[in-house]
Amino acid sequence: MTDNASPGRIKHIRNFSIIAHIDHGKSTLADRIIQLCGGLTERELKEQVLDSMDIERERGITIKAQSVTLDYKADDGDIYQLNFIDTPGHVDFSYEVSRSLYACEGALLVVDAAQGVEAQSVANCYTAIAQNLEVLPVLNKIDLPQADPDRVAQEIEEIIGLDAVDACQVSAKTGVGMEGLLERLVRDIPPPQGDVNAPLQALIVDSWFDNYLGVVSLVRLFDGTLKKGDKIRMKSTGRDWEATEVGIFTPKRQQTGILRAGEVGFVVAGIKDIHGAPVGDTITHAKTPDVPRLPGFQKVKPQVYAGMFTISADDYEDFRDALEKLALNDASLDYEPENSDALGFGFRVGFLGTLHMEIVQERLEREYGLDLLTTAPTVVYELAMDNGEIRYVANPSKLPDMANVDEMREPIVRANILVPQEFVGNVITECELRRGTQLDMQFLGNQIQLAYELPMSEVVMDFFDRLKSISRGYASLDYSFERFQAAKLVRLDVLINGDKVDALAAIIHRDHAHGRGRSLVEKMKELIPRQMFDVAIQAAIGGQVVARSTVKALRKNVTAKCYGGDVSRKKKLLEKQKAGKKRMKQVGKVEIPQDAFLAVLKVND
Amino acid sequence: MAGLPPLSLYVHVPWCVRKCPYCDFNSHGVGRGTELPEDAYLAALLADLDGELALAGERELDSVFIGGGTPSLMSPSFYRRLFIELERRLALAAQCEITLEANPGTVEQQRFSGYREAGINRLSIGVQSFQPAQLAALGRIHSGEEARHAVENARHAGFDNLNLDLMHGLPGQDVALALDDLDQALALAPEHLSWYQLTLEPNTEFHVHPPRLPQDETLWDIQDAGHARLEAAGLARYEISAYAREGRRSRHNLNYWSFGDYLGIGAGAHGKSSHWSPDGELIIERRWKSRQPEAYLRRHNDPRGFLAGSQRIREDELPLEFAMNALRLVEGVPLDTWRARTGRPLERLQARLAMARKKGLLVEDPRALRATPQGLLFLNELLASVSDD
Repeated sequence: MTDNASPGRIKHIRNFSIIAHIDHGKSTLADRIIQLCGGLTERELKEQVLDSMDIERERGITIKAQSVTLDYKADDGDIYQLNFIDTPGHVDFSYEVSRSLYACEGALLVVDAAQGVEAQSVANCYTAIAQNLEVLPVLNKIDLPQADPDRVAQEIEEIIGLDAVDACQVSAKTGVGMEGLLERLVRDIPPPQGDVNAPLQALIVDSWFDNYLGVVSLVRLFDGTLKKGDKIRMKSTGRDWEATEVGIFTPKRQQTGILRAGEVGFVVAGIKDIHGAPVGDTITHAKTPDVPRLPGFQKVKPQVYAGMFTISADDYEDFRDALEKLALNDASLDYEPENSDALGFGFRVGFLGTLHMEIVQERLEREYGLDLLTTAPTVVYELAMDNGEIRYVANPSKLPDMANVDEMREPIVRANILVPQEFVGNVITECELRRGTQLDMQFLGNQIQLAYELPMSEVVMDFFDRLKSISRGYASLDYSFERFQAAKLVRLDVLINGDKVDALAAIIHRDHAHGRGRSLVEKMKELIPRQMFDVAIQAAIGGQVVARSTVKALRKNVTAKCYGGDVSRKKKLLEKQKAGKKRMKQVGKVEIPQDAFLAVLKVND
Repeated sequence: MAGLPPLSLYVHVPWCVRKCPYCDFNSHGVGRGTELPEDAYLAALLADLDGELALAGERELDSVFIGGGTPSLMSPSFYRRLFIELERRLALAAQCEITLEANPGTVEQQRFSGYREAGINRLSIGVQSFQPAQLAALGRIHSGEEARHAVENARHAGFDNLNLDLMHGLPGQDVALALDDLDQALALAPEHLSWYQLTLEPNTEFHVHPPRLPQDETLWDIQDAGHARLEAAGLARYEISAYAREGRRSRHNLNYWSFGDYLGIGAGAHGKSSHWSPDGELIIERRWKSRQPEAYLRRHNDPRGFLAGSQRIREDELPLEFAMNALRLVEGVPLDTWRARTGRPLERLQARLAMARKKGLLVEDPRALRATPQGLLFLNELLASVSDD
């Protein structure tokens, strides 16, 4: 930061995000920018440095916002401070995107020059435009033989309405066009506004819990200056703290002792609880308590809920501790204790979507060594009771007596789907099958944009995977909650050996109930292993059995082979068998594997 | 201080003409007619044994078992010399059972009387099946006819104690074919029959290219029908897959199953030995030898000796290790055996048995550890509950 102290410094700051579809090369592009600015030496530059969680790296997705501050020496001879704020790319995490964008004046819209525009990018791009960001279209992967930059540029204009004639054409992989992109970035993205001498007004873009430092907050300063040692005030709680560490990410955390208006960096203030520095909160100085709060962010609401239980009841306490710790870093995670007759004590956990659910389960198991069982996720239903009360239910087994329910309403989403023409028929069929209503269909370049209203329950299940498989991976999806709408819904109960298993119940549409009941018991028959006794599986609606099936008993389970003196092989076999049982939950006498609890997601009529 | 468990000796011969696709034992195919390094292997075995003698203490050998591989690839003179040297080092009990595994090939059969003269008093013949289709599926290099001749030759050579190894649950097998195999075996009047189900093991050709096995229902029908057939013929089941006439149970295997000690010599051989520590604790250890025949032979002049590894059985593993063996026996074992073999109080074992008793898999008997008929059918479940803390 050569020119840090000069008042004109703010003119040389550029705050930007990258909007891109999961595999359109955002991480590679980010790495390339970091490298060009010398943010990390070649040796230090691990691939995709910004995706720091193991799971993020393995799955190639970004979950949490991260930032990096870079110095770029432009062709005009000046040095610019580039603050790159990373954004998640999956539909489950779209609210995190608007948070990241809030800290920026511009965004790069990265589109794969071979694949074209996809729906999630469109949605994020609109969010950026709505927040008055300058959006720079970037065509990536132009080194690929199948790249068609002209067609994709036209698509950007038609679908998003963004001028893309002179869009940057780059290959982050080979480095082609990258210098030009950085020049465009400093030329076209406006510098932040703000007054370093005004009272401090900073927005918490993200907060996370660090075992050594306590809460670390990623902040964007709109006005004023924040120095190490300052007494700061959280506007939401009114509590004062001392800023013990102030600095930037390079992407390593680096103390600079000061942040100024327009800049993005971190502050640590000895806060031990994430709720002490909530995302979207405004920070000012203790001495200027009247500084107004920034608009902040809408509190994100979980879209789906699932029960989570430990395989062994002894692990319940560990599970609770783990959830508490995980929630420290994941404000969107919502949970409360749940007691299931079949599965014992656990938690009903709210998620942003099924990917979020998978990630949470994976983190709990991997980072906290727990063996967990997750029930099928369900959306939140609205119940109009006969006494005028409105109730929300996110657990099929907690449905009240239907005699007292005037109307049951399900959440409806508006889904925007982009798909190449050749697959549009498949997509329409799939949407109709899922009780969708078409709102709009537009031909945009090579792609068709479909707008549908769909029950959320149909979308959160395996709709996204299904869309991908019927379009050879080309279809893309974005959706948002619209409203609750009355629907003929029933609870499908599952009985195992005559006992209703609350954790297997599902709420489904009456017209689908019999068909789903039948395919569900068949699917469960495949998934429940044979045991020492017959296992009867029944599906029932309102006490009436609509389908049944039986897993025939094993007659034997014994290894006939004689192993002689070498017991190690026999022991290995037993251990393998035991490991298999670890993934099963004992319900009554019957051992049910995790897959069977999610079977309802995998059945169609 | 109490004594030590009974002691047996296992000798491994690692070579085969051809490795069978289901076999996961330490065997190495060398092709027909290959000259085996008998002298070098004998010298190595004896040096290996010398390294184990201290573990025997004052004990004599109750049984010797020569397994493979195909031990009948070695000449009678190899075994004659082996037993002369063996008896210089260890005493054999008066009724010592000495078994050799033999393949029913014609070449091997010519050696049977030589084996008998060398001191071997029991043959275990690897018949596996009498049906051409099943023998072919198993990659066996002999015929049913050869198997019959082998038994005749063994009798002729003076063996009055024969075991036949027979498999079931074979590719393409139904109940009738399996029973026909048993009938043909019974017609040869063996004293002992090992009748075990084909299992696909890791590190075998069958694991990589699995054959199509009969459905579970067929497998179970075969077991039920075969069991009835054998019992009716006077061969009583005394272990999950072992049947014997009165007084002809395999002493060597009984020693394994009742958690006795055994020395293991030869490439890849496993042993189990016990000794008392100075502070009165019975230390039980498993030992295993270098696996590859060439590597094993090289170890002869290696200061490390033949041992590839050894491991003390942990306190918390003892109940499972004990039960894993003892519960294979139809009659189980007297509970005193636990104390005698492990030197541990009975409570250590009892604590692990409660769940299995509750499930009706273990007999409620204050004196014996024995599976119920249901427990024998679901031995894997039974053992899983014993292994749980």
